Amino acid sequence: MVKLTIDNRKVEAEEGSTILDAASQAGIYIPTLCYHESLSPGGSCRLCVVEITANGISDLTAACTYPVAEGLKVRTSSEKVVKARGLAMELLLAQRPHSSRLQQLAKELGIDKPSFTLKEQECILCGLCVRTCHEIVGVSAINFIAQGIDRGIDEPSIEVSSVKCIGCDSCAYICPTDAITVEDVADTRVVTMPDTKMEFKLKKCKTCGKYWAPEKQLDYIIEKVGLASDAFDNCPDCRD
Amino acid sequence: MSKVVFSSWAGKVIDNRGLHPNKYASVENMKLPLQYDGHQVRAFMSWNGLVVADDKVNIVDMAHSYLKEVQKLSCGECAVGYLGIKIMLDILAGIANGKGTEEDITLLHWLGAGIRENAKCDFCPSAITPILHTLNYYKEEYGKSIASRKGRAKSTYIARVTAPCMEACPAHQDIPGYIELVRNRRYKEALELIRKTNCFPQVTGRACVAFCEANCTRNDVDSPVAIRALKRFAAEYEMDSGSEPTFKKIKDGKPKIAVIGAGPAGLAASYNLALMGYKITIFDELSAAGGMALVGIPPYRLPRDILDREVDIIRRLGVEIKLNTKLGRDITLEQLSAEGFKAIFIATGAHLGREFNIENWKEGYAGLIDGVKFLCDVNLGKKIKAKDRVIIVGGGNVAIDCARTCLRIGFKDVTIVYRRSRVEMPGRKEEVEAAEEEGVKIHFLATPVKVLTDGDKVTGAECIKMELGRPDASGRRRPIPVKGSEFVLPTDMIISAIGEAPDLSFLSGSEPIRITEQGTIGVDPLSYQTSQAGVFSGGDCVTGPATLIEAIAAGNRAARSIDQYLTLGKIVQSEEETIESFTHDIGLSRQREGGITAKSPRQSPEQLLPPDRVLSFDEVERCLTTEAAAREAERCLRCYRLMLLAVASES
Repeated sequence: MVKLTIDNRKVEAEEGSTILDAASQAGIYIPTLCYHESLSPGGSCRLCVVEITANGISDLTAACTYPVAEGLKVRTSSEKVVKARGLAMELLLAQRPHSSRLQQLAKELGIDKPSFTLKEQECILCGLCVRTCHEIVGVSAINFIAQGIDRGIDEPSIEVSSVKCIGCDSCAYICPTDAITVEDVADTRVVTMPDTKMEFKLKKCKTCGKYWAPEKQLDYIIEKVGLASDAFDNCPDCRD
Repeated sequence: MSKVVFSSWAGKVIDNRGLHPNKYASVENMKLPLQYDGHQVRAFMSWNGLVVADDKVNIVDMAHSYLKEVQKLSCGECAVGYLGIKIMLDILAGIANGKGTEEDITLLHWLGAGIRENAKCDFCPSAITPILHTLNYYKEEYGKSIASRKGRAKSTYIARVTAPCMEACPAHQDIPGYIELVRNRRYKEALELIRKTNCFPQVTGRACVAFCEANCTRNDVDSPVAIRALKRFAAEYEMDSGSEPTFKKIKDGKPKIAVIGAGPAGLAASYNLALMGYKITIFDELSAAGGMALVGIPPYRLPRDILDREVDIIRRLGVEIKLNTKLGRDITLEQLSAEGFKAIFIATGAHLGREFNIENWKEGYAGLIDGVKFLCDVNLGKKIKAKDRVIIVGGGNVAIDCARTCLRIGFKDVTIVYRRSRVEMPGRKEEVEAAEEEGVKIHFLATPVKVLTDGDKVTGAECIKMELGRPDASGRRRPIPVKGSEFVLPTDMIISAIGEAPDLSFLSGSEPIRITEQGTIGVDPLSYQTSQAGVFSGGDCVTGPATLIEAIAAGNRAARSIDQYLTLGKIVQSEEETIESFTHDIGLSRQREGGITAKSPRQSPEQLLPPDRVLSFDEVERCLTTEAAAREAERCLRCYRLMLLAVASES
């Protein structure tokens, strides 16, 4: 176990865990947006920023990615933290003012309205969908467009590969700003992402005739798990 | 250029504004060149500040242009970085176009400070520094832009990126670029980027000495990013997925060029020239292509099929390789010219073992062999019968390779004898360690003085102990024999690996090609042209024994020179070379933004266990797994830096 101090409280945490893990175990709240317990941390929203002091140096860092260390001093709501967190929140809200999740977080942090305006974009590049698609689904259909000096790409963004995507809906589930939506219309699933719309044929249940899941997703599961090719002929309700 | 109107470079402010140029204080710690690629440099902006040579430069517009380039490099994986910059850009564009307000300045300060404090990596904070300098030191300029209500004259700009790893690499590969692509699982694009400056991603992904890693900023935190392993990962991905690279060739029909030597330098030059549309014929003395990569690097470090695949990729560009053809024996330079080759690139390497002057060495006993010859024989498939004991003399990579090869052939007792101590050993540390793990013994501070024999059989080496004196020309302490300390090491074979030199016996002496005092081919350091017009040279035959990546870099550069020679009739400094001298002059050091960086363990590829290694020539090191590669790429601190030069004013 590693001993550290969070907001002047002595806390013990497992080696290899993060400041965020340690704080939540000790019941100390740190706001998060791009964090999910089932995923590796991304450190991208910068809302979980805390102030750490080690070897006489103070610095701001993301609680979700920084590992605990013996003797580390953490402050979760110092003046510096509150300021930095406020700016991060204002930036996110400026990008996507109509997200209820962001509005709620902003309210919690005492922010009414951002000091600047941006052309609204649904996606705030939190990376949750990228990590979900890779770590949970195992498909890696969504990736950041890598930037580079000669790549001719002006702004960072996220890109989805329609070849790899299986239409499983996980990204829409995890997206905090409703930038990804999924709708099943008759025999087709429509996945809408910023700049991309994809359609997937749905499988019809042999027994009840209901369209219940994308064929591509079922094929993926059959191959990955090694099931019989007729394993999904029936929907879950009609299976024995 | 030391006299400038203003400089905030490296924390020192020089402000000559309003003074007569005669009274200008000069900037001491930076050499800003007056010219860049034929342009007058008017101002310069980068991670360490702002330098202005011409007070008519529109600083507000320059700050805006700089930040626009920053946005192209920002990864987008942190809200503060990418959204902060997006908003700062909007505000700066407004001010530059005469639509700004005083309140905008306050917002810029706030955003800039926020990015510096809370961005995820090193890049955006470093990029904000010069913007904040413009806000602090050019307040009136911003005021003027806001008050004028209209746009003002702009400059044209040149943007370039550099990083400590790129600086250290002789081929200046875009390392941060391909790490970023691997991070984002864009392996094909990563490999395409690597191939722009390196035709041997698989070979260097295994056998490069990785100067980049030695200069990686992460050295200051924990251990360097495993750049070489990441390159191998990208390259291996292509091979594992069964795909082959495609290249965009510039139209064929350009003149014929002869390349002497199918080693790394010759192949790299051929690759570049073939892509430019030249018809290349390589002549090589050996029975297979690859040069030192083939005969100098044993298969347990570089499997043959891997090397062959990359050589084949170059062949498929239309490069013809004529083997078993030795310059001076089977062909001559005059003949090549007469056959219509418009330029010749000599890259014959350094395959000659340095003379070993000890008693009885030259008597021709079986069991005395030169290290490069030994490796060449084994690597070309010649069967060598293992005996019990072998001594290898020398402390460089050839000595280590000989020792590890001997173990694999079946020698029981392998001893390296080196005249200095471990710290002076020129062999790569990891290779030395690997050899010792496998059972190679190293006898430091000793050297053989006499071969001992019984009839025609080698039985041992009489050695003498050494002690270290003052440093010699190489900077290492000079070994001095200890009188009366002779001792005998029994052995059945002695391999001399005390250094290599180019074999230039192919030159008849009648050519106007200059040979240096070191016995290497003399070339113009910029163009690689020899003292004979149209004949170029590079790689080990010019530098003496050096590294794979230096040879590749020489091949790349020679190719550019040869193209310029044949198309322009003269050779000019390339943009890459301009940047090289420029970044050198402004002093890019391994620098990290302040603050605390979390440690993160370096991902190591799996290795065969030492007892298994010596049983065969199978490759020792495996490739990183996909997950390990992703984690390793995440370790990059993104300490690359953007430079923006304001050149001529826009008409």
